[in-house]
Amino acid sequence: MTTLNRRNLLKGAGAVGAMSATGLLDFAKAWAQTMKWKPEANATLNVLRWKRFVQAEDDQFMKIVAAFSQATGVKMNISNESFDDMQPKASVAANTGQGPDIAWGLHSLPHLFPEKCLEVGDVADYLGKKYGGWFPAPEATCKAKGKWIAIPTAINGGYINYRISSMKKAGFSTFPDKTDGFLELCKAMKANNTPAGFALGHATGDGNAWIHWLLWSHGSYLVDDKEKIIINSPETVKALEYAKKLTDTFIPGCASWNDSSNNKAFLAGDLHLTANGISIYVGAKADKALNPIAEDMDHAKFPVGPIGKPQELQLTFPMLAFKYTKVPNAAKAFMAFVLEAENYNPWLEAAGGYLTHPLMAYDANPIWTKDPKNAVFKDAARNTLPASGIGPVNEKAAAAIADFVMLDMVANYCTGREDIKGAIAIAERQAKRIYR
Amino acid sequence: MAHNAVGRPQASFQRTERSLMQRLSNDRNWLGAAFMLPAAVILIMFLAYPLGKGVWLSFTDAKIGRDGVFIGLENYEWLSDDKIFWLSVFNTLFYTVIASVIKFLVGLYLALLLNEKLPFKSLIRSIVLIPFVVPTVLSAIAFWWIYDSQFSIISWSLKNMGLITENIDFLGSPDNARLSLIFANIWRGVPFIAITLLAGLQTVSPSLYEAATLDGATRWQNFRFVTFPLLTPIIAVVMTFSVLFTFTDFQLVWAMTRGGPVNATHLMATLGYQRAILAGNLGEGAAISTAMIPFLLFAIMVSWFGLQRRKWQQGGSDE
Amino acid sequence: MSNHNHQDTASVTTGVNDASEGMSYLDGGIRKLIHVYLPLSIIMVVLIFPFYWMVLTSIKPDAQLINMDKFNPFWVVEPTFKHIQKLLFESEYPRWLWNTMYVSVVATALSLFASVFAAYALVRIRFKGAELVGAMIFLAYLVPPSILFIPLATIIQAYGLFDSPMALILVYPTILIPFSTWLLMGYFKTIPYELEECALIDGATRLQILVKIILPLAVPGLISASIFSLTLCWNEFIYALTFLSSTQNKTVPVAIVSEFVDGDIYRWGSLMAGALVGSLPLVILYSFFVEHYVSAMTGAVKE
Repeated sequence: MTTLNRRNLLKGAGAVGAMSATGLLDFAKAWAQTMKWKPEANATLNVLRWKRFVQAEDDQFMKIVAAFSQATGVKMNISNESFDDMQPKASVAANTGQGPDIAWGLHSLPHLFPEKCLEVGDVADYLGKKYGGWFPAPEATCKAKGKWIAIPTAINGGYINYRISSMKKAGFSTFPDKTDGFLELCKAMKANNTPAGFALGHATGDGNAWIHWLLWSHGSYLVDDKEKIIINSPETVKALEYAKKLTDTFIPGCASWNDSSNNKAFLAGDLHLTANGISIYVGAKADKALNPIAEDMDHAKFPVGPIGKPQELQLTFPMLAFKYTKVPNAAKAFMAFVLEAENYNPWLEAAGGYLTHPLMAYDANPIWTKDPKNAVFKDAARNTLPASGIGPVNEKAAAAIADFVMLDMVANYCTGREDIKGAIAIAERQAKRIYR
Repeated sequence: MAHNAVGRPQASFQRTERSLMQRLSNDRNWLGAAFMLPAAVILIMFLAYPLGKGVWLSFTDAKIGRDGVFIGLENYEWLSDDKIFWLSVFNTLFYTVIASVIKFLVGLYLALLLNEKLPFKSLIRSIVLIPFVVPTVLSAIAFWWIYDSQFSIISWSLKNMGLITENIDFLGSPDNARLSLIFANIWRGVPFIAITLLAGLQTVSPSLYEAATLDGATRWQNFRFVTFPLLTPIIAVVMTFSVLFTFTDFQLVWAMTRGGPVNATHLMATLGYQRAILAGNLGEGAAISTAMIPFLLFAIMVSWFGLQRRKWQQGGSDE
Repeated sequence: MSNHNHQDTASVTTGVNDASEGMSYLDGGIRKLIHVYLPLSIIMVVLIFPFYWMVLTSIKPDAQLINMDKFNPFWVVEPTFKHIQKLLFESEYPRWLWNTMYVSVVATALSLFASVFAAYALVRIRFKGAELVGAMIFLAYLVPPSILFIPLATIIQAYGLFDSPMALILVYPTILIPFSTWLLMGYFKTIPYELEECALIDGATRLQILVKIILPLAVPGLISASIFSLTLCWNEFIYALTFLSSTQNKTVPVAIVSEFVDGDIYRWGSLMAGALVGSLPLVILYSFFVEHYVSAMTGAVKE
């Protein structure tokens, strides 16, 4: 419980300077005068959030929290939980009806217990109208049966990270934008002993991101928009064949990788191409010894596959309020407050490219132009499909992702444990179980 | 022992005046119930009820945050031809059997070694206990780093010695991953077994060995006919718990592989967790953990009756 | 118990006589080296290595961690205490350590209290159905915490114990009581019944017998049960993760993982430093009690 933890606040204050802090407070006070949602008297708001990627983002967020608290008189308690431990905690809260008022976690979270989420359509409409509208995928991710059950606050974009010199050495002057060229690049890179590698272990973020790109870009989806299971298709066979060729070029060990493995290998210079968020780049920029890597690396969009348009899966970070909360208005006010431009822009900037905006108006944020290597991440929300692909977003789709149905299918075939038919059959069987 | 002996004192009390309090404190059933009370309250409140509820959940289609309706055996029917489920059953048995057997052998061997006359006895014993003391999640993370596909210290050493050219893929190939996890489990489990067996060993009176040795028994015979029979009860206890804890192991696997690669290391506990908590299908997760019950019952029965039989064999039927 | 030993030895000695003619063994230095010190050192090295690795990681500068060509990974140049310092002074670590100790000690005490009575009742009072009840206790281990925590959470919530150390203090005994009971049952059985009999004749109550006669003799059992229990509490993860939510209430394993894993970046130094410092109290406890634990038990059985 970092109840406006003084240490945290001080840490951040040093970095950005006192001026913006008072600026925030002035804005907060003015905002509180006209706010649509009047917080309940003596409200205390408990927020459970995912553990930050970068300190600066956390600091900036705590400033927003402090300003909100001072301006509205709502007492704020923020607790952090690591990426993977968010879900069990939120699940217990949903199940018992006790715990935090707001949970801020990963993409499928609200769909695990849609009936326990406070409806926040008014907040979403207010923000959507004011800031140019929501991108479709984050909107779909936060809606159940046409109702907003969460507010998308950000998208964590993951793209190709590569070493420029290794790409050039492999005979490519620009990064290939089609899957065929991409395969050639990876083959050449393997031959040069500067291999590529994507996580094939049970990695919630990186693993799911790239295999969904791979399958979707070949037109292979788990279910269609009527929830009919369509994974057993010629497209899937083609996608798996491609995946096999691609994984054959990978650095050994990918099958055991989790989300942090590729960061390490890339920064050590063993890995020259991978799919990841901006964390590798930021890490390399921050550490003097690793600066050469930062200079030699760049980001690229996922190549377009046979279906001819970009298909990506990016993680949305929805912020949801539980129905049991005694302070629904304070919760809504806080959600709206966070996404107001005066708060959101500095926060997005502080996040250093890890996070992308779900509201179109924030395309203009300077973070995307400040460093050309950040630019790729700007479109994460624009290009992504929801986690369900072309199917409806609901608890079943959330279950399929959490059960690694697609990831295991690719891994099953690519590691040689099953043939194509066997791998697809297992995935189909799992899908039937989930979509029964 | 107890049965025969209790008769007499009771008889002697019968002559004294009997207040209600006295009568109660002499009635075995009442007294037994009173003595069991603290344990019973805690276990019933925090265990029996959730256990019952867990079993009930397995017959429903409950999701997180939504009560299910009764669907009979449907969850089990789905599991019955679910390859991944059966793989997890296999993995669990494999993991439990191999790890328990090795833990027992190494533990016993270590206990015998520690029972020798050694300098720095207590220092050595405390060192031996270290793996048991480090919080499991954190030692699992340390192991994960030791098993890393790129930065494994083991691969590095072997490479520098010129024994291998490629890094060992500890957690990436199914067999390696299974063995690596089993090793970590053994590492964690051996100290407790060794120290407890050591305690048992020390209860064996040296005069027994002296007598046996005078009669010309070899070391092995000493062990086989003197040490081992005396250790059996404690072995049964320790191994039952070892088997139970290995069977339900979760943290180690979850921290290192999450059941990957391709479910090759999913134990029933981790698969149940994944389906129930991460995927939200509480009913199905509950069915998986309920499916563990027969196996665990079996393990408990084996050691329980093993224990009883042993007593009887030793002529201890009067106990 | 002691009778049996003699019987066993008798049968052993007669049975063994013919098989082993003159197989006396020397306790010579070399022999001991090969048969004791060598295997013992090998096992010790394997057991200690991951711990050594943790120590090393906790004082290694980050840059040396993944640069294995330049820095020998088995050693550390320019060790840094940055991680440990960060852990102790820039996080709420002391607080977490205190929470862990508090929860562990109270839960252990509670479990021992319940187990002593239960074990005594099962072994010595022999009430109707004792066998069955004894077996029932072990049903506690039938369903793993990884699933049990959801229904359990409902109960914790119903009793209003959410986010309170009391939740763990009351839940942990469910994992501890069965083991402690079983262990104590074993010890109680080794205490000669004659002692109790005399006391009963002298008019002592069962409670008096338990407290004045049995418990002092069962000290080693109590010690090993409490050591085991403490360790289990200390290391427990899932319940601690889900039943406690505020940072200031967390226990060491949970707090360390949530504090030092940032998204996809693991702060290795601090993680390992946390593991290390978190284990120290137990290591000290053990080094003090191990000897006690083993030798005290010998005394009890000799009686």
